[in-house]
Amino acid sequence: MQLLQYRLALHFHRKLVLIASLCFYITIGNAQVTADVTPVSSHEEAIALVSRISSLKPSVVWTNVSPYKFLQNLKENIQRPLDLYEGSNTNFCGYAALSYLPLHDNPVGYIRFMLDLYENGKARYGNVFLNPSDEIKKAAGTLKFKGILDIRPADQMWFLTLADHFKGYVNFFNKHYQPGDENTFWASVNYAKFNRMARKLFNYKVSPRGSDLKHPSIHGLYNYLNKSLQSGITVLYLNNAYLYKKKHNTLRPGIPTHYVILLNIFQPNKNGLITIIYWDYGFRSLRQVSPAFLKKIIFGITHVDKKSANG
Amino acid sequence: MGEKIFHKLFLLVVLMNSCTTTNISKYYFDHQPVLDKLHQSYSVQYSHNPFSLEYVDKSFNNISIEIFTDTMKYIYVFQPDEMRLKDTLAKYHLVAGGISELLTGMRAVHCNWINNLDYYVDQTKNSLVFMSIRPMGFHFPFKRKKYYILSYFSQPQYYDKEGRLLDKKRRRKIRKINEDVFKRITDKVAYTISDRYR
Repeated sequence: MQLLQYRLALHFHRKLVLIASLCFYITIGNAQVTADVTPVSSHEEAIALVSRISSLKPSVVWTNVSPYKFLQNLKENIQRPLDLYEGSNTNFCGYAALSYLPLHDNPVGYIRFMLDLYENGKARYGNVFLNPSDEIKKAAGTLKFKGILDIRPADQMWFLTLADHFKGYVNFFNKHYQPGDENTFWASVNYAKFNRMARKLFNYKVSPRGSDLKHPSIHGLYNYLNKSLQSGITVLYLNNAYLYKKKHNTLRPGIPTHYVILLNIFQPNKNGLITIIYWDYGFRSLRQVSPAFLKKIIFGITHVDKKSANG
Repeated sequence: MGEKIFHKLFLLVVLMNSCTTTNISKYYFDHQPVLDKLHQSYSVQYSHNPFSLEYVDKSFNNISIEIFTDTMKYIYVFQPDEMRLKDTLAKYHLVAGGISELLTGMRAVHCNWINNLDYYVDQTKNSLVFMSIRPMGFHFPFKRKKYYILSYFSQPQYYDKEGRLLDKKRRRKIRKINEDVFKRITDKVAYTISDRYR
């Protein structure tokens, strides 16, 4: 009888342990699923990851992408993220500005995604499953006359895949890629689309001010931008017709078409000029502008910050 | 009577319009000494310190200079006689005399932008000098202003029978620069007409 009681007790004990363990794992599992944090990694980890890859097999999916050039491109992006170039006369500036975020905060996530995309022709990034069309797979590696983008097939893959997947109202009349569409509305990025991409792909806390048509009403623009730079990353949505003048037209379109990363801002000097340092076209640029000019060109200010477990 | 005047005016408009689009070769040969000197002087100065020069306004009064260092591109706007210009040039080790000579030459031929552009052939980097010229002739109101663009290559280029610049000799693909198709003036100099100067 005592033996039977002992066995029953042991049996229940084991079951209790099993149930407790299950509950524990479920709790941990749920915590991992529901934890709303921005994934981060260091450059050292990313460099270690890519340096372990000596070569890649030719991709059966991306037939025009050289494995050697692809790997070289990934290594360059990790080692010199500011060299990333959207290509001359393309509409990829929104995607280039977006690339600044993972290349600085989670380069390992970026590398893993790119390797997965290269190998399988589709991959998941954050909450988004990207499955580019056959036209995109054919086009990547073939873009020409775009400056250094010509010899960067990984960047071509990345930009084309993002443009193929994310659509905004500016892409309404041209949703399907045809050769040459990297210069057209097919590749354009409106402001809401940019912010949506930053949220969905990288799980940032995104705080936008502004729109596609109207300047943000911010009193003390310099102070606002300066404060924004204290944490996270600040993206500016600008009117390129004024920033990089290309024509002598008296009337210029009053709409924003360009994204840059604001890196620094210095208060007005004795001439009343504000100095800004920003990143675009593979370069950091320093420029002195009047407060009125700055107000005139800015249509959007997006502040992205990492979500942490502490909130 | 009114109809005749209208026809004559129409013919004049068509003629004037066609003149502006076909005279670029003539323009090049008329101004060849100045243009070639600009190209040569810019190339030499660029090889020491990379930069680009731009006249930002129609009246050729204000200039913009972009100076490239390893880590940064510095963009400044000046008036040519401003003291700040000389200070800036000295700071970045650019020769004031050389820049001043370039600016004078640019103004003389109405060149409002001179820059070095990289392009790639067979994965290899090449460079060309890109010059934009703002024709000063008659311009119809509400008609888009056109710019003459000259590109100076360091090596002779391949062209097709119509004189269009080719990507490579074997592949008869047309090369685009800044999304424009260029045509032959000489083996090393090509032109296009564009609605933007950069």
